[in-house]
Amino acid sequence: MAAPLVLVVLAAVTVRAALFRSSLAAFIAERVEVASPLNAWKRVVEGLALLDLGVSPYSGAIFHETPLIIYLFHFLIEYAELVFMITDVLTAVALYLAIQDFNKVVFKKQKLLIELDKYAPDVAELIQTPMEMHYIPLKVALFYLLNPYTVMSCVAKSTCAINNSVIALFILATIKGSAFLSAVFLALATYQSLYPLTLFAPALLYLLQRQFIPIKLKSKSFWLYTMQYASLYLCSLVVIICLSFFLLNSWDFIPSVYGFILSVPDLTPNIGLFWYFFAEMFEHFSLFFVCVFQINVFFYTIPLAIKLKEHPVFFMFVQIAIISVFKSYPTVGDVALYMAFLPVWSHLYRFLRNIFILSCVLIFCSFLFPVLWHLWIYAGSANSNFYYAITLTFNIGQILLISDYFYAFLRREYYLTHGLHLTRQDGTEAMLVLK
Amino acid sequence: MAAAVPGLSRARAAAAALLLGCCCCGAALTGGVQDQAEQFFRSGHTNNWAVLVCTSRFWFNYRHVANTLSVYRSVKRLGIPDSHIVLMLADDMACNPRNPKPATVFSHKNMELNVYGDDVEVDYRSYEVTVENFLRVLTGRIPPSTPRSKRLLSDDRSNILIYMTGHGGNGFLKFQDSEEITNVELADAFEQMWQKRRYNELLFIIDTCQGASMYERFYSPNIMALASSQVGEDSLSHQPDLGIGVHLMDRYTFYVLEFLEEIHPASQTNMNDLFQVCPKSLCVSTPGHRTDLFQRDPQNVLITDFFGSVRKVEITTETISLDRDLTGFESKFPEDELATEPLKYAEQLPVAQIIHQKPKQKDWHPPGGFILGLWALIIMVFFKTYGIKHMKHVF
Repeated sequence: MAAPLVLVVLAAVTVRAALFRSSLAAFIAERVEVASPLNAWKRVVEGLALLDLGVSPYSGAIFHETPLIIYLFHFLIEYAELVFMITDVLTAVALYLAIQDFNKVVFKKQKLLIELDKYAPDVAELIQTPMEMHYIPLKVALFYLLNPYTVMSCVAKSTCAINNSVIALFILATIKGSAFLSAVFLALATYQSLYPLTLFAPALLYLLQRQFIPIKLKSKSFWLYTMQYASLYLCSLVVIICLSFFLLNSWDFIPSVYGFILSVPDLTPNIGLFWYFFAEMFEHFSLFFVCVFQINVFFYTIPLAIKLKEHPVFFMFVQIAIISVFKSYPTVGDVALYMAFLPVWSHLYRFLRNIFILSCVLIFCSFLFPVLWHLWIYAGSANSNFYYAITLTFNIGQILLISDYFYAFLRREYYLTHGLHLTRQDGTEAMLVLK
Repeated sequence: MAAAVPGLSRARAAAAALLLGCCCCGAALTGGVQDQAEQFFRSGHTNNWAVLVCTSRFWFNYRHVANTLSVYRSVKRLGIPDSHIVLMLADDMACNPRNPKPATVFSHKNMELNVYGDDVEVDYRSYEVTVENFLRVLTGRIPPSTPRSKRLLSDDRSNILIYMTGHGGNGFLKFQDSEEITNVELADAFEQMWQKRRYNELLFIIDTCQGASMYERFYSPNIMALASSQVGEDSLSHQPDLGIGVHLMDRYTFYVLEFLEEIHPASQTNMNDLFQVCPKSLCVSTPGHRTDLFQRDPQNVLITDFFGSVRKVEITTETISLDRDLTGFESKFPEDELATEPLKYAEQLPVAQIIHQKPKQKDWHPPGGFILGLWALIIMVFFKTYGIKHMKHVF
């Protein structure tokens, strides 16, 4: 499997290198869908330039990256293109290895459940075979590397690629079973952008499953492991934050990074839901609505944890998708990360109900974003409502995609345990709905 | 054209003096002629420009247009040609449908003085009078397609008169009822002009309410400023004309116009007289002026240095010996000149340095403690994950 992966990597690197050298690079770097105030490259350059002039980069409202990014790019700024290409390749390879391991886990679990007769007799066609699962890791790497969103994000040199690679490494560490590394990478991901905090739950569930600790609230070993993992995570987070203090000898980065993410002061349009609301809201209510919008990201973790406690990797996928829809400054790079996982659930295809319309919605909206931006900003014949309509449609498409996959996943699980041909009590055919 | 003028006028002056001095003797007269020759080098300017701006529109602001046209008339009469005047009028009063006397703009009741005339050339009219256009005219940052008549093509030997009128407040002047120019912007524009060598000396006159606030922020050298009222005072209009139905002029400009009507191209009236125009008894507001940035004594500054365009031609039949130390004339200025070193233009961009610039050394480096801590952590994580046994392979 290494050779096809190398080929895919080479193809991806070629595409990116070609785009870097073309005139599209400058155009893409300015697009608001690709570069948000949090991860735009020109802000990184600006911050480093301010630092060379002796001014703290956090003193204005321009630089919202963490000190570790300052450290990384201080030495690597001349090789920025190479860094971003390597980051993308790293993400893809991490996802490849993670999904390879995950497939083994899925297969082992499936075998166990078959031997325990947990499955209904007529579900042979739903069972995943190694043959069909053989190419999934390659497809995942392919989906990530050659996704136009990822390519645009890389060409724009948006640090979203670095976020994605940290999350991918976290997923790799979790699936490999190393609690320590997983906690360290999760702490790094949370430190980088606040929202991966919600990935603590799926990681914990996965590690508990791997250690064969039952997830019961009364179980002592459950709480012990949870405490261990939580303390590893929190300690690494604290250590990283304290270390960042020593870069510039100030705590300025905390309001600039986390305060900025949470309070959303910059209302540049992006593909998210925050900017339009807060652009027209009265000051009086903005605190309340900021809290409501931010809670929306974290809110789904507990219900999903309860429902999906047997399937933590799917939970992780849904959680990453929810983060990328509801976060305060999303970009297409975030969307690309969860889209990379779609081949893993390709066996759900027969249960997806709206996949055609949703893929059409997502593709059309992606094309309409620059069109309506041009109409609004340059031609002056549209206004922000038009652009926000496309943003809304895009996000609705994403949410429906997530819920469609969720429904398909649960439906398959139900069929596995109850058989494919469901009948009601009076013998007629029954239809499964998600209530 | 402007750059050739200094050489040209000096050469012309020297040629005129020399040619006609061939048939003279009379040592007694040499002294007087020497004085006259000194006059050439009294003021450092060789050409004059005027930028006259009226910033308000609508019929009831007739007086602002009349103010500007009065100054335009005086300035033209005293010799500045239309090619050297940038006239910006925000509205057309002469052909306004409400004007009972079309094609005229009067500056005095009983319609004594029509300042519109037959040969008015308005460069920026109506909606073209904006803050942006005004600042572009001053700083010269004009798109290449702008016609010459709309450009201020001054050089470092130009004396510029800038007259502004309209509605103003403390620190701002209103343009067209929709935007403002602040005193800070104006001061920065003048500084740009100084740095780009666009003026030799500048006279700034403003006739608005609280006009003195507009010159408070100037910081460039060689600027003299006059205003019609102090901060907190309003500039009042002079008199309404019952025939036309609006006020025709503002008081300050009315009395300035009266004063300027007495001036002719050869008059020796100096700036101190202009400062006395319109005392509080006549103007109700207190006119103000600012001369601290100006290097010459206002006593020695002729009105025609700014309001007129006086060619430096003196006809004489005497011989004048123009010796090499003509700069010695400058030392014959009265002693109460400011004893500062002559103000030079700011250093232009040091081109030599830029061409040979090496890549910039990064001045900031992460502190050693941070790097140590970070790498120690990374190594600890590595060994915790992969086991201590790998250590022996590393060392």
